[in-house]
Amino acid sequence: MNFSHFIFRRTLMVIPLLVGVVFLTFMLVRVGGLDPVGLLAGPTATAEEFKMIREELGLDQPLWKQFVIYAQNVIRGDLGESWLSNRPVLDDIMARSLISLELLFWGIGIGTLIGVPMGLRAAFRPNGRFDQTTRILSLLGFSIPTYWLGLVMLFVFFYLLRWAPPGMGRISLMISPPDFITGSYLIDSLLTADWRAAHSALAHLILPVICLAIVSAAPIIKQTRAIALEVIASDSVRYARACGLQTRTVRSIVFKNSATPIITFVGTEITGLVGTMSLIEYVFAWGGLGQYGLNAIVRGDFTAVQGYVLTLALFSVLVFLVVDIIIAIIEPRVDLS
Amino acid sequence: MTGRSPSNLWTMARLGNRIRGISRLSPTATAGVIIILLFGVLALFSDMFMPHDPVSSFTDRILQPPSAQHWFGTDGNGMDVFSRVIYGAKFGFGIAIPAVIIAVLIGVPVGLIAGYRGGLLDEVLMRIFDGLRVFPSIILALAVVAATGQSLLNVVLVLGFLDSPVFARLVRSEVLALRSSIFVESAIAAGNPTWRILFLHLLPNSIQGAMAQTAVRAAWAVRISATLAFLGVGIQAPTPEWGAMIRQGAEFMVSGQWWVAIFPGIALILLVFGLNLFGDGIQDILDPRRRVSK
Repeated sequence: MNFSHFIFRRTLMVIPLLVGVVFLTFMLVRVGGLDPVGLLAGPTATAEEFKMIREELGLDQPLWKQFVIYAQNVIRGDLGESWLSNRPVLDDIMARSLISLELLFWGIGIGTLIGVPMGLRAAFRPNGRFDQTTRILSLLGFSIPTYWLGLVMLFVFFYLLRWAPPGMGRISLMISPPDFITGSYLIDSLLTADWRAAHSALAHLILPVICLAIVSAAPIIKQTRAIALEVIASDSVRYARACGLQTRTVRSIVFKNSATPIITFVGTEITGLVGTMSLIEYVFAWGGLGQYGLNAIVRGDFTAVQGYVLTLALFSVLVFLVVDIIIAIIEPRVDLS
Repeated sequence: MTGRSPSNLWTMARLGNRIRGISRLSPTATAGVIIILLFGVLALFSDMFMPHDPVSSFTDRILQPPSAQHWFGTDGNGMDVFSRVIYGAKFGFGIAIPAVIIAVLIGVPVGLIAGYRGGLLDEVLMRIFDGLRVFPSIILALAVVAATGQSLLNVVLVLGFLDSPVFARLVRSEVLALRSSIFVESAIAAGNPTWRILFLHLLPNSIQGAMAQTAVRAAWAVRISATLAFLGVGIQAPTPEWGAMIRQGAEFMVSGQWWVAIFPGIALILLVFGLNLFGDGIQDILDPRRRVSK
């Protein structure tokens, strides 16, 4: 079976899901019976003005027609204008996405690098001391509110120890950010050999990344352990053992066989982590998409909320797609047809 | 009831054995139960434990560090943090329990019907659930509460509603496996009406997995409701709710008054941790596949 053909068909399969996502996003605002007209018109507006704004926003149309209009706009890349700032939502989102991706990339990367080996090690000796400890630790990781962890970190490392910069933004105000190459201040400043900026960017990154890594590692540890235990109990691994292979070789077989479900799990975890990350951004005033979205929710700026929620959902769909493609590449058992 | 009759002693001894058996099966679940019970006592009898009124402010004692008089210090309004942390347990349970009950009451029947009927209804429901899964749950909860109205009742309703797919999925997959089993077929052949088959035959056989999830889902509800309150959505300060208290204390963290936010955070972690421990242990006990032979 042709590989590009597989990717094409897998991408087509996403379309019904996308329609559903756009519909749910649309309903999100309608379900509350929120009326943006009152917000836009202000307290002194006359009934005439109310009617005009209604028509302008298309709110006098039947619901299905409003949805069709909304879907058309989304396809054209028009997410509407923010009710509060009157700026196009898409521009705001585009400007902030990369800022958030940097945090997400490091957070999940480190979380996975910690979580997978710990989960595997726990599974190799189930109910051992290491397993019991990591089990409690990962349950604890599930239970710690991210924003609280961020605040405690700021208290300890900024207020008490003075090791970390204040939780405001991605780089010190005194330092000019590096030229735009990838959007990541750390990578860009390293590429342009701007060591002062690199140092400041790294210092600002560390605390939020640690928070995100802790939160993302907890479920990864738990799931990796469960997956590896199942693989260890499988016939192929029992056979490998029976053949008298070295423990190391058996373990590498276990790791290879667990890789696919672990990647799938990490992919599905990203959806939830994007939500968690927004709270970290909020606490550290990171200035990314998450902070933008939370502010929009808190202030009731619902075009922005819609755009934000839609972006997150589309991102998840994209991640699922990429995960499927990666698995198709590394997993010989997947039937491409 | 004297409580001393031989038969009573016998049942009590048996109960004791039972509890010991369970605690040996899963020490973590036992630890979880103990934590939950402790918070339950705090929530039910908070009046007995609170040294001060949780919402009355001592205007002359603003932001005081922990002392003999105020064990956890006072917050920016001069309110006693210790009393507020204890009172906060009421919100933890008061939101999580009804939210999970609503989720079960919606999710279980939906799962039963979808699994039993199959066809278009099932297909549509599963697609909607799939669609919901690509939204981060916390963001969805925040946005829906913000859109539908910010009240405590609404927080409970939205959390219950958003969590119902978890139970629907679990029950549905069980029902799918049971649908063509002999006891169901014979119940149909005996002329039982559909509702009887659903609720008397299928429900008791398919609900175990869903019930095992309730504690973990309650932990989720406690966490999410606190997050909402932290952002000021649904529950506003100075309500003595843990998330709202952390919100109040956030600004003081970088100026050194740590006690305002730290203590409610610890209480929140403990309760969620207890629920998670309990839920994890229950799943181990109920699902033999998860148990590891020693």
